[in-house]
Amino acid sequence: MPFESGQVPQGEARKRIVMQYYPYLLVFVVFDVVGMFLFAWGMSFANIPASDSFLVLLFLILLGAPLGYALKMALKRENW
Amino acid sequence: MVSLPTTPAELLPFIIAVVTSHTFITLVFFPGFIHLTIVVMFLTWYERKLLARIQLRIGPLYAGGPGGILQPIADGVKLIFKEVMIPYKADKPLFLGIPLALVFLGALPFAVIPFGQHWVIANLDVGLVFVFAVGSLFPSMILIFAWASNSKYPFLGGLRSLFQQVAYEIPMWISALSVVMLAGSLNLVQIVDAQERIWFIGPAFLSFIVFFIASMAELERLPFDLPSAEPELVAGWFTESSGAIFMVIFLALYMKVYLMSCLITVLFMGGWWGPAFLPQPIWFLLKALVVATFIIIPRGVYPRLRVDLLIKLGWTRLLIIALANVFITVVLLSTGVLSAWGL
Repeated sequence: MPFESGQVPQGEARKRIVMQYYPYLLVFVVFDVVGMFLFAWGMSFANIPASDSFLVLLFLILLGAPLGYALKMALKRENW
Repeated sequence: MVSLPTTPAELLPFIIAVVTSHTFITLVFFPGFIHLTIVVMFLTWYERKLLARIQLRIGPLYAGGPGGILQPIADGVKLIFKEVMIPYKADKPLFLGIPLALVFLGALPFAVIPFGQHWVIANLDVGLVFVFAVGSLFPSMILIFAWASNSKYPFLGGLRSLFQQVAYEIPMWISALSVVMLAGSLNLVQIVDAQERIWFIGPAFLSFIVFFIASMAELERLPFDLPSAEPELVAGWFTESSGAIFMVIFLALYMKVYLMSCLITVLFMGGWWGPAFLPQPIWFLLKALVVATFIIIPRGVYPRLRVDLLIKLGWTRLLIIALANVFITVVLLSTGVLSAWGL
């Protein structure tokens, strides 16, 4: 199907298609939730004590390692 | 609030009270329907003229009445009288209904956009979340429309639209997060109020860049217009739309262009604030026009990105820059250089 682009299409239109970039989709699902909680934190940033904000920042920094691994796997062409 | 009429004599005063009420005026005239329709027609004209000047296109530069003002009306009349073709075996209710849903979703966020201190339809406490929530429904709607039109090019375009959402959405949220932290609120009116002294484009400049690029991707404008890439996919996800359906889809797309320029104005450019010699809504419209110009210009200048490069850009560049700006904001706020609520 990708090779058909630009030519006259053949056969059924509604058939199964391979969802590419699966690692990115997985990371997206995870960061969706993280982003939601970050908004709750960012809105009340001025009201909560600095130690609580420190924990959130620590969590973000710790999240960097799995994110880096996931992106490393996602950039590999055989995982698309 | 106006009490409901009980006798026929009270009917006329009731109607007058409703028509002159602030809610009615904001809903119908200024930030509401009439203003939106005029701005969308203006944007089609403006984009054509701008691109014609950039690329020296002779046709759009000289066609259509005085300065080409009549061209949007001519387009509208032409598209209304064209035949609506529905593809063989297409899902009819979805095929006809989704364009209307797109227009509805495009117009809905304007309810919370403040065009002036009192020029807002709904002063919602979670306005920013509301705008993001409505905006993130678009790619799913596009995919449903693409599936309903029973054709291969639209389906590929719809899938690309979904991948594009994966690429831009998280960087967009995270870049808006530093603005939310600086303003201490999700209410768009309070966010603009907090920018009376300093526009957030200053302390959150990196966020501004990320948000601008992400909104270009959300709008499917040219460096990122993969879902409607003409050389590969005919017209992308709206290949099978024709006549009035095509017009309705374009209305929704241009409403979104205006929506994103309004949102950038609200979040980063200080909203309605400006020197007092012009009224607040005029300042807002001027700023939104400037942002819309910068959204339109790349269409005449840049080539198109690949899907995998776009996703890579979103996750390895934009997300990191947006997170860096969150850390900068934390440092600025906690060292007392800036304070939340009003700086």
